[in-house]
Amino acid sequence: MFRGFKTFRLWPTLFNAYGFLFLAFLYLPLGLILLYSFNANPINMAVWTGFTLDWYATIFGGAGVKGSFDAAFTEAPERIFAVVKNSFLVAVSAATISTVIGTVTAIALARYRFVGKRFYQALLILPMLVPDIVLGIALLVFFVGAGFQLSLLTIIIGHVTFLSSYVFVVVSTRLAGMDTTLEQASADLGAGPLTTFRRVTLPQIMPGVVGGFLLAFIISLDDVVITYFIAGVGSQTLPLFILAMMRRGLRPQITALAVLIILFSFVVATVGLLLRNRKP
Amino acid sequence: MGFLQIASAHKAYHTPEGAQVRALDDVTIDVRNNEFLTLLGPSGCGKTTLLKCIAGFEDLDGGDLLLEGRSLKGVPAHRRPFNTVFQNYALFPHMTIAQNIGYGLDVAGVRKPERDRRVGEALEMVGLSGFDSRRPAQLSGGQQQRVALARSLVLKPRVLLLDEPLSALDRKMRETMQIELKNLQHSVGITFIFVTHDQEEALAMSDRIAVLSNGRLQQIGRSTEVYDTPANEFVANFVGTSNLFTGRVTERNDRLLTIETANGRRLAARSDGFAVGDGVTLVLRPEHLRIAEPGEGGAGCTIEGTVKDAVFVGSIVHVHVDVGFGRTAILHHRHERAGASAAVAPGASVRIAYSPESVHLIAAAGG
Ligand SMILES: Nc1ncnc2c1ncn2[C@@H]1O[C@H](COP(=O)(O)OP(=O)(O)O)[C@@H](O)[C@H]1O
Ligand SMILES: [Mg+2]
Repeated sequence: MFRGFKTFRLWPTLFNAYGFLFLAFLYLPLGLILLYSFNANPINMAVWTGFTLDWYATIFGGAGVKGSFDAAFTEAPERIFAVVKNSFLVAVSAATISTVIGTVTAIALARYRFVGKRFYQALLILPMLVPDIVLGIALLVFFVGAGFQLSLLTIIIGHVTFLSSYVFVVVSTRLAGMDTTLEQASADLGAGPLTTFRRVTLPQIMPGVVGGFLLAFIISLDDVVITYFIAGVGSQTLPLFILAMMRRGLRPQITALAVLIILFSFVVATVGLLLRNRKP
Repeated sequence: MGFLQIASAHKAYHTPEGAQVRALDDVTIDVRNNEFLTLLGPSGCGKTTLLKCIAGFEDLDGGDLLLEGRSLKGVPAHRRPFNTVFQNYALFPHMTIAQNIGYGLDVAGVRKPERDRRVGEALEMVGLSGFDSRRPAQLSGGQQQRVALARSLVLKPRVLLLDEPLSALDRKMRETMQIELKNLQHSVGITFIFVTHDQEEALAMSDRIAVLSNGRLQQIGRSTEVYDTPANEFVANFVGTSNLFTGRVTERNDRLLTIETANGRRLAARSDGFAVGDGVTLVLRPEHLRIAEPGEGGAGCTIEGTVKDAVFVGSIVHVHVDVGFGRTAILHHRHERAGASAAVAPGASVRIAYSPESVHLIAAAGG
């Protein structure tokens, strides 16, 4: 009879409750966005009027916009497609270039001794600490001063300047954990420096390189502040586009777009984790 | 012209605090072809440094390395006909066992059929046939060790360098590998330079032993030479156990010397060298000391003392005897069945006896 009472334990119960509340705090906003994106009510998202996939359809151009009122608040699929294309072009290019620069720099700093190494290392980490807004202004000043036309190219260059630091840090961590005798063993067995790099060092740091690339890719994809300063007229990216849409109020189409972005980030993160955990 | 000459090798490291460590200080060794040479010394004496300099991972500050008369200065590691078995084995974790062993052949451009054949032979040599497609992480320490050996030996190097390769193995495995390594060296006919800090291991395996301390070569010679006639007090203490007594020769009677220590102890030794007045150190090995029967033992060939401890280690008992003036002598007493060992119980007064022939004499430094 008292069994239920006896097995009740205060602390585990409190911890479970805490864990639940914390997760709710983290995921409630995201859950709301997901819910709103399926709400048929075009005016007030907080009032549920029925389930619809229309907002997703408007993104992909699968459904016409019903009234002239709605039309004022939705963007044409072609516009959305154009900015998504811009975003991907920027993210893939910037992440690729930063991965090469960051990796080469990390290896040079980890494996070679030279004067001012520590100072150089500190300089490399600095861009991650500088506030985005400062970096954005600095880049704008630089591009304008150097006579660049603001375009996708300036966004890519701008992103590379700070994304290289992220890749550098990720790859450096991996290199620091790598057994240096493996490289010695390779040389000992007759391999020159290039062969050693290709067949021993690179496979060993590959998870770091891939991780660095994905991190750079995601950061580039959702960067607003820096991109805002260095984007030209015809070079809007998805985050800037959404920001512009928001000026006219939070519409259901935005929530659908947001859900798609979350989904995509989730896929990228999963791929990254899978690659990292893959047995060598 | 020697085979591999290490000619007054010097190497210093700078610590971050700005101090200078002499890792190698004027080391000269003539390595012979096909020998099993062991570099023996305590941790930090420069063994790994010497091996790295030979392999080409580090450069000497001074001196030279000559392979059959040709200097190795400026020859990078990957062009030296030496291979290393690393202390942690350094197997490539992302490659299979076969790929690990075939790596050097592949890099050298050996074609696949030939490569596979030689990898197969190497695997067989170390008793790991059938393990080709496993990964290093799936092997035990002893097996990884063999793969590391096979990976080096498959290239038929002029010299195989081994840096404490057995230290990570358990005792039983280590003893097995000691014998296997020695046999392997004989059958492949390759010079082995083997590093260890374990003097028993060195004595068991080597053709010759080079004893190092503080970056300096203390002695080089055959195992029995180093053990029986240590060149100085460091070697006497480091290789095996020694009881050392330092004094001055006070009498010489044909080959029989009498040595008087600062404490007035008079000890006998037989030797061809030394004259009255010379400073010498007597080296007395525990196995040459015994507990004298009452009335036994000539003048100068006994030491009075009190048993402090008797440590039973199996076939023998290590007896620690307080011989006065704060000194303890250690002797090895044959183990008797219970009851017969009353003479070596702690507290017993004993006389230690030795034969003057068994004493090795070292000229005292500056004496
Ligand atoms: N890279 C290094 N930087 C500074 N000091 C070093 C370095 N490598 C070795 N030493 C020092 O040189 C001495 C010899 O080291 P080592 O050759 O590794 O000794 P062993 O292998 O005999 O234990 C030690 O005092 C060690 O601290
Ligand atoms: Mg060492």
